[in-house]
Amino acid sequence: MHFRRGWVGPKIRALDGMNLEVRDGDFFALVGQNGAGKSTAMYCLLGLLRPTSGKIEVMGRTPELGAPLYSSVAFLPEEPHYHLYLTVEEATRYYSSLYGERVPVKAVDDILERLGLGAFKKLPLAKCSKGMKQKVGIAQCLIRETRLLFLDEPTRGLDPIIVREFREILRELHKRGATIVMNSHVLSEIEMLANRVAILEKGKVIAQDDLHNLMTLDQDLYAVALESNGSVPDYLTVTERQGSTVRGRIPKAQLFEFMDYARQTGLRVLECSLQRASLEDSFVRILKGDAPDEKKDI
Amino acid sequence: MGELLRANTLTHLTYFRRSRLLLAFGLVFLLLASLGLLPAIFANSRVASFDSLKEIFATFNQFLIFFAAGLGLLVMSSHLSNRSLKMVFTKPCRPPLWLASAFLASALVSLLLTGFVLFFAVALSFLWHVPVRAGLVFISLDTFLACMAMSAYFIFLATFLHPAIAVAFALIFNASLFYYLRILVHNALHAAGKGVVLKSLEHVFQVLYLMVPMSRAFESKTGSIYSSFRVPAHDWIYLLYSLGYTLAISGLFYLLALFFLQRKRFT
Repeated sequence: MHFRRGWVGPKIRALDGMNLEVRDGDFFALVGQNGAGKSTAMYCLLGLLRPTSGKIEVMGRTPELGAPLYSSVAFLPEEPHYHLYLTVEEATRYYSSLYGERVPVKAVDDILERLGLGAFKKLPLAKCSKGMKQKVGIAQCLIRETRLLFLDEPTRGLDPIIVREFREILRELHKRGATIVMNSHVLSEIEMLANRVAILEKGKVIAQDDLHNLMTLDQDLYAVALESNGSVPDYLTVTERQGSTVRGRIPKAQLFEFMDYARQTGLRVLECSLQRASLEDSFVRILKGDAPDEKKDI
Repeated sequence: MGELLRANTLTHLTYFRRSRLLLAFGLVFLLLASLGLLPAIFANSRVASFDSLKEIFATFNQFLIFFAAGLGLLVMSSHLSNRSLKMVFTKPCRPPLWLASAFLASALVSLLLTGFVLFFAVALSFLWHVPVRAGLVFISLDTFLACMAMSAYFIFLATFLHPAIAVAFALIFNASLFYYLRILVHNALHAAGKGVVLKSLEHVFQVLYLMVPMSRAFESKTGSIYSSFRVPAHDWIYLLYSLGYTLAISGLFYLLALFFLQRKRFT
C-alpha cells in the first residue's frame, strides 16, 4: 500500500510499500516514531483515506466511507474530533445509534458510569477536558460488542485509574475474540496488551512479528546469576552484586566458554537464560538497524 | 436506515439550536426588523397597514432565504472544519445518508420558520384589520421552496470552499450576473452574425443562470400575487412549477455536494 499527499511542492510519501497483515483475533500494535505513518495507515484501514496505490482488505472487503462492514468495527481517534455541540450523553447515544439501532438509555448510563462520566452527562463536549473527550470516544467503542477495534493512541490524556481499567476492558474484549489494532507510543502498554507488533519507519514496515519474538530473539546476551567468591570471567558484565550473588550478562558467543569456566571453578550458577529485552530496547535497536536481518519478519 | 436518518437529522437540529452564529444572525435581523416596524405601528389607515404588512412580510421572507443559506453553509462547514465526520463515516452510515439528513434538517428548520412568519403575518392582519388573503400562504410556500434551494446551494458550496469564500462566491456569481453575461454574449452574437465560441458561451451562461438558485423563480408571473396577496385560481400552478424547479436544483446540488464530500480526506 502506498499513500502520497500534496499537490503543489514536494509530495510526501506517508506510506511507502507498506505491507501489513492482521490475523483474526490478534491484538496488533503499530509502533513508530512521530510521522512514521501509523495514523495514516489506520486511516487507510478505515477507508478515511484512499491509498494512492495498493490494496486494503478489512474482513475480506475494501473499506469505504460508511460501509456496512463497519457494523462490527469501532474506532477511537487520536484527536478528539467529536461533535462538540453535543453533550457527553448525546454524543455517546448519537455515535452508538449510527450502527442503525436505537440504544437503550440504561446502556448509555451504564457505560458512562463505568468510565466515570456519570456526573458529566449533561456537559457539552466543547467544555470537556481532553481526557473526558477521550472517555466519550472509549464509551462509543465499548457500548456494543464489536469484532474489530481500531484504537489510535487510546490512553493519551487519560488518568492512571482509567488507563488501568481501560486496559482490563481491552484484555477482556480480546479474550472474547475481538481483533484489536492499536497505535501507541507507550511501549510498556503494548508489552502488556499486544501479541503482534509492527514497527514503522518512514511509511514502511521495518519489522513485524509476534511480540514475544521481538522481545527476545534480537538479543545476543544471556542473563546469568551465580555465586562467586569474587573472581568472575572478563566477558561477564556485572550488573548487580548482593553478598556472594553476582548478576550480569554474557555475550551469546561466550556461553559455552562460561559453562566450561563454571565447571572448572565449581561456580554455582543460579540462573542462565536468554536475556529478555523490553520492547523499547528492541524498538530502538531495530530503528537503529542493529537487529539481525532474520528478525525482521516483513 | 430510518434510525440513521433520524439520529443524524436530530443531531443537525441540535446543532442549529445551539449554534451561536445562527442565533446572533437571527437576533440582529429581528432587531433591525423591529426598528423597521416602528412606523407601521403609527399607520392610521387600512391601506397604510396593508402596505406595512406587505413590507414586513417581504422583509421576513427575504430574511428566511438568507437564514436558510446560513443553515446550509454552517451545517456543512462546521462538520468539515472540526473534522467530526470521521466519527460518522467509520460507522455503517454512508455519506449520501448523512448529506440527506443535513438537507432534511435545513428544510425542517426553514419550514418551521416559514410557519412562524406566516403566523406572524396573519396575526398582524387581524391586528390591523387587513383581510387575510390566500397570497400569504402562496408566498410562504414559495419562500419555503426558495429556502430549500438556497440551503442546498450553500451546502454544496461549503463542501469545497471556505465559508467566507462561499459567501463571496454566491454574492458575486449570482443569477443576475449570468443573465447579464448571457444578454451581453447574445448581443455580441447578434452583431457578429455567427461564432461558435460565442454560441457556446451563451449556452454556458444560460445553464449557469438556471443553476444558480433564485429567490423567486417565476417572478414575472407571480409578481401580482406578491403585491396584492390575491391568488387567481390558475396561478397556483406556479407553486407546482416552483416545487419542480426546487427539487431539480436541490437534487443537482445534492449530487454535486456528494461528489465533493466523497472525495474528501477525513483525517
